[in-house]
Amino acid sequence: MNQITGIYFDGRHPLGAEATLIWSGPEASLCATNGLARHPLKGLRISPRIGCADRFISFPGGGQLQCKDADLLDELPQEGKTEGIVAWLEARRGMALVGIAVIAVLAALAYFQGLPRLAEYAAARVPVSAEREVGETSLRWLDGHGFFKPSTVGCGSQYELRSDFRRLVRGLPLEQEYRLVFRDAPTLGANALALPGGIIVITDGMMKLTASPDEALAVLAHETGHVELRHALRHALQDSAVGAAIAAVTGDASSLTSVVAGLPVALAQANYSREFETEADTYAFELLRSRGVSPANFAEIMARLEKDHEGKAGAAGFLASHPPTPDRIARARAASVGLDSPQAAPGPVPWILWSSGSDCPDGAAP
Amino acid sequence: MSSTDPAPPEQGENLKPEAPRPGQPTELKLRFDGTASEYFRIWVVNLCLTLATLGIFSAWAKVRKKRYFYSHTVLDGTPFQYLGQPLPILKGRLVAVVLFAIYYAASHFFTSLLPVVIAAGLVIAPWAIARSAAFTARYSAYRNMTFSFTGDYRGTLRATYWLGLIPIIATGIAFQTSEVVAGGTAAIVFGIAFAVFGILFPWWLARFKKFLMSSTAFGGVSADMNITGGQLWSIYFRGGLLIAAGGVVVGGTGAVLVGVSHMPSYLAGALGLASFYVGYVLGYAYIKAASTNLVWSNTTLGPLRFVSTLRGRGLAWLYLSNAIAIVASLALLTPWAVVRTLKYRADHMQVVLDGELTAFSGSDTSSVQAAGAEVSEVFDLDLSL
Repeated sequence: MNQITGIYFDGRHPLGAEATLIWSGPEASLCATNGLARHPLKGLRISPRIGCADRFISFPGGGQLQCKDADLLDELPQEGKTEGIVAWLEARRGMALVGIAVIAVLAALAYFQGLPRLAEYAAARVPVSAEREVGETSLRWLDGHGFFKPSTVGCGSQYELRSDFRRLVRGLPLEQEYRLVFRDAPTLGANALALPGGIIVITDGMMKLTASPDEALAVLAHETGHVELRHALRHALQDSAVGAAIAAVTGDASSLTSVVAGLPVALAQANYSREFETEADTYAFELLRSRGVSPANFAEIMARLEKDHEGKAGAAGFLASHPPTPDRIARARAASVGLDSPQAAPGPVPWILWSSGSDCPDGAAP
Repeated sequence: MSSTDPAPPEQGENLKPEAPRPGQPTELKLRFDGTASEYFRIWVVNLCLTLATLGIFSAWAKVRKKRYFYSHTVLDGTPFQYLGQPLPILKGRLVAVVLFAIYYAASHFFTSLLPVVIAAGLVIAPWAIARSAAFTARYSAYRNMTFSFTGDYRGTLRATYWLGLIPIIATGIAFQTSEVVAGGTAAIVFGIAFAVFGILFPWWLARFKKFLMSSTAFGGVSADMNITGGQLWSIYFRGGLLIAAGGVVVGGTGAVLVGVSHMPSYLAGALGLASFYVGYVLGYAYIKAASTNLVWSNTTLGPLRFVSTLRGRGLAWLYLSNAIAIVASLALLTPWAVVRTLKYRADHMQVVLDGELTAFSGSDTSSVQAAGAEVSEVFDLDLSL
């Protein structure tokens, strides 16, 4: 015979009364000061164990007995069939340690392997044209809000680079999607960017730093890598997933930490950015080699970019969130072994003709 | 807590508060008696299972955690009880994921569809709010009696879009992002919408909170809350001043530091950002504490009154130390932060019984068992994440 004492609430009044549940075999009796009620044991339901909190036993008539947790309550019919397993795990210190280890391994696997592969797989199934609208909207927004001004690169020079670029991307899977855009963007400095949908923007600041069309082409090859490898979409997917995962881990405390949770998210995302940059570099070197252009051009322009940035506050634009420049230069040089090096120029050589205000069309084809 | 409090009663004692003599309200002790080490084990196991099942277990995990929080929140010797079931929560999460995916696709790929999606979202929102409030109320129980939420779609719609405030800000944003209107006009419309929203927000919030409170009932008695937008407005105004003052002090100090000590500008920038964060947290904590106090101290539930005594400084310290602990411990101290926050909240809330608990009386549908029977209902889902 087992018995447990608790407080009985009838479900209609918020006042409880002390009562004792006694059970043996298939029958249970509830004894209170005002009487005794018999129930078949299988009609009872007991709430799952959670820590050392009180348990609640429901009776067929709607009443409920609240009592301290005890091992003998395991004999009663449980409300949730599987929660007992979870409660068993939760009660063990060793399991907590195992849990931490498993979480660490799973998180690392997901972060370094699962997520990037999943994003790559998903991105490959979304046509670039689906991103076109967003890219166009972004460009219009940047144009409309003063971030972008018309380029002052002369039409002839634009035409020259456009035809070089066409040759660069000829035969690539996304050849038809590319659109090269020249813009003067004082706030972005020397920069080049790949907007969603195959739009590649190169700034006048960047053009000014290049000593030859091949150097500009090297920069464009890097952006081509971003487009071909679908980095914009993969980046967006991975960032959202990382944000969601961190929110899930600290979710309980989200109202207290939402501001600080941004920091680890940003760090985790910056790491992805660096990986994408390295990937785009590797792609660019291959592409340049296959077109007979030495990747050393990339090293030249990178070195000049870095020199240009020295003395200025922080590393902005093309250098920010990128791998350390010396590494990139070294990799570019290593990739150019066996090809003629570009003529070492002491500084920017004016290969570009500038115009006062450009009236060159933004056409899709040069 | 006032110093005249009697020693905390043992759990299980004090079942029937002594019949109060007229004019002699009794305090019902509220406490949170969960411990960080116990909750840590629950948190780890559930997080682990959630990750291992790619998030599916999260619904079960939510139930486990909610059960823990509720059953360790003890009012007058009796713990609360959480009755939510995992499947409706999983269902709600799937719906939320689908809705989010639609929004994501519209904002990333099909931007021309975005206005339609946002409009649909505005229509669905009151429904989601009402469903979630009903779910939470229905599956929260105390002394074998569940709470209930009586707000319907119409009432929620009216409370949510009172003064047309949300549509105003939505219009502003639509103008801001649209390309049809010239840049200048869009900026003006957005500015006006934002200003109107900013000024009227406290009145809207007061009304919305009043709606949520007065639609919640326990034992046949609806809660009642009376605060005015003006009261909230002065809280927000003072909180805003705190944040602004923080910004000015920080900016000034930063400028002096750069000027005097020739500190590198990025270091001064980082320092400035960190101290701005402190100012922001102070302002935020003040607003949170003052508005929570205001709301609860003006709320009654039948014979029950509430006195909330949160302090801005106390909350700010709690936020800051929690944030530092969580980041420094790679999130391992999250359970500790959660438990101490819940403890803090419970310690700063007094429940006063001015009358008799018998004012509450249950019905056929309010007992815990009746709540479990409705799980199969199609729209019984929890959209609150």
